Amino acid sequence: MSGLARAGTGSPLARRNPTVKLALLAVVSLVAMFLLDPVTPTVLYLVGLAAVAFSAGAAPRTLLVAHVPFLLFGLGVLVVNALSRPGVAVWQAGPLRVTEEGLSVGAALAARTLLIGVLAVGFLLSTDGVALMTSLHQNARLGARITYAVLAGYRMLQEMPREWSTIRHAHAVRAGLPGGGRAADGQGDGDGERDRDGAGVDGDDDGRPGRAGTPSVRPPGRAGTPAVHPPRGPRHLVGVVFTLLVVSVRKGERMAQALESRGLGLQPRTTWRPLPVTGQDWALAAGVVLVVAAVIAASAALGTLQGPGALFEPAPRPAG
Amino acid sequence: MAAPHTPPATRRPGWAMADLVLMVVLGVVFGFAYWALVQAWNGLSILMGPAGDLAQHVLFGGWLLVAPIAVAIIRRPFAGIAAEVIASVVEVVFLGSPVGPTLMIAAAIQGAGSELPFALTRYRRFGWAVFAVAGLLGAGLVFFYSAFRSGWYGQEIFALRLAVQCLSGIVLGGLLAKVVVDALARTGVVDNFAIGRQRDRS
Repeated sequence: MSGLARAGTGSPLARRNPTVKLALLAVVSLVAMFLLDPVTPTVLYLVGLAAVAFSAGAAPRTLLVAHVPFLLFGLGVLVVNALSRPGVAVWQAGPLRVTEEGLSVGAALAARTLLIGVLAVGFLLSTDGVALMTSLHQNARLGARITYAVLAGYRMLQEMPREWSTIRHAHAVRAGLPGGGRAADGQGDGDGERDRDGAGVDGDDDGRPGRAGTPSVRPPGRAGTPAVHPPRGPRHLVGVVFTLLVVSVRKGERMAQALESRGLGLQPRTTWRPLPVTGQDWALAAGVVLVVAAVIAASAALGTLQGPGALFEPAPRPAG
Repeated sequence: MAAPHTPPATRRPGWAMADLVLMVVLGVVFGFAYWALVQAWNGLSILMGPAGDLAQHVLFGGWLLVAPIAVAIIRRPFAGIAAEVIASVVEVVFLGSPVGPTLMIAAAIQGAGSELPFALTRYRRFGWAVFAVAGLLGAGLVFFYSAFRSGWYGQEIFALRLAVQCLSGIVLGGLLAKVVVDALARTGVVDNFAIGRQRDRS
């Protein structure tokens, strides 16, 4: 999930300017949106896979694991299009019918998913979050206030899994109390008045145990085993998400005060550890653009290239 | 929080730092929650079997939540668009999304759709109806872009997709946002933002 946390520093791709990499990722994604034949995006994907494997310094296993969501997503897209597109049927069973056009468009979309996916993985594996924001500030003229707000948010994101489990445990403790640990004053909405921290979950400023008067021990789940699993179910989940939101909003307010009190927003600014755009970055950009253009041109010359028209008209049939 | 000395008068920043950070915080929390939503989507699409691809439309409104919430709390032009885009940046750049940077374009369209009804009331009305229209437009406008991006044009279930997505937008992306905003307001954590100041005045 947090690819950036593990960003390597030694690989060739990791030494390139983050803004340049992000721009290239955006450009290729945009171009890929207009490719609707199966061959062109597949070729681009294979080229991209090779490039990422060699330049991002990722272990083959990491790359393979990262592929799982894209493969599942791509498979879903392929199946839906195969079944839901009018055209020449190649297979039929009851109400289900697979069309040639559906297979073609579906395969194109699935290959696009893989292409963008593998490039995104390459970007995430080779880019440090802080370096990215510094580079966006310096090279892409992103405002200092936004840059540092996002950086603070990034830090918050890194802490979020821990925060999440803290809240879940806090809720689990309270789940053993009568009334689910809510304030037993008949208000119905214990989050409102009694504690202003959502569900009093911070732990540091609301540590009163067993507010409702009973010891905060959950009824044992099975004979004698103390039940330590947090409760599950959508209701519990909603409570945890909402508490996370409340705690984070409060934290954000404190963060904003801290940022302002340290003089953020004053001009002129200097940058610590500046990230220049070097000749090698331009070479990378030129290389990527040339390769993509060459693949598309070759595909057009061979007659395999298809644009968005493939969505509306039947695929060209081979003559004869 | 009055500063003891006058701030530099050269440039009055349009946005308070607290508003900016709040948007980032909303973006981060919802980016994180969206990740959970993606898991729900995967689960639902498996449950729905052959109709699984429609699961994304059923849950679509969930991805709209952040824009109306940000607008209702900050009450400034472009707050909704900015919050939605920031959430997508978190999703794409920090969490990783198979859709890639084109998701940010979708986010901008979603944010624009969600914010439009609030802008038309000049950020003064925050009733159920405005939220419902925000959800409807947020889901409706982006549909045509998504349809192009995902190749839904020409599919036999095009109209069904649109209907399910709009309904989801109204419920999950509009009405639920109002529930969240009201719940947040009750906790008191947003008292120092425009939503709290507005309430004090009235």
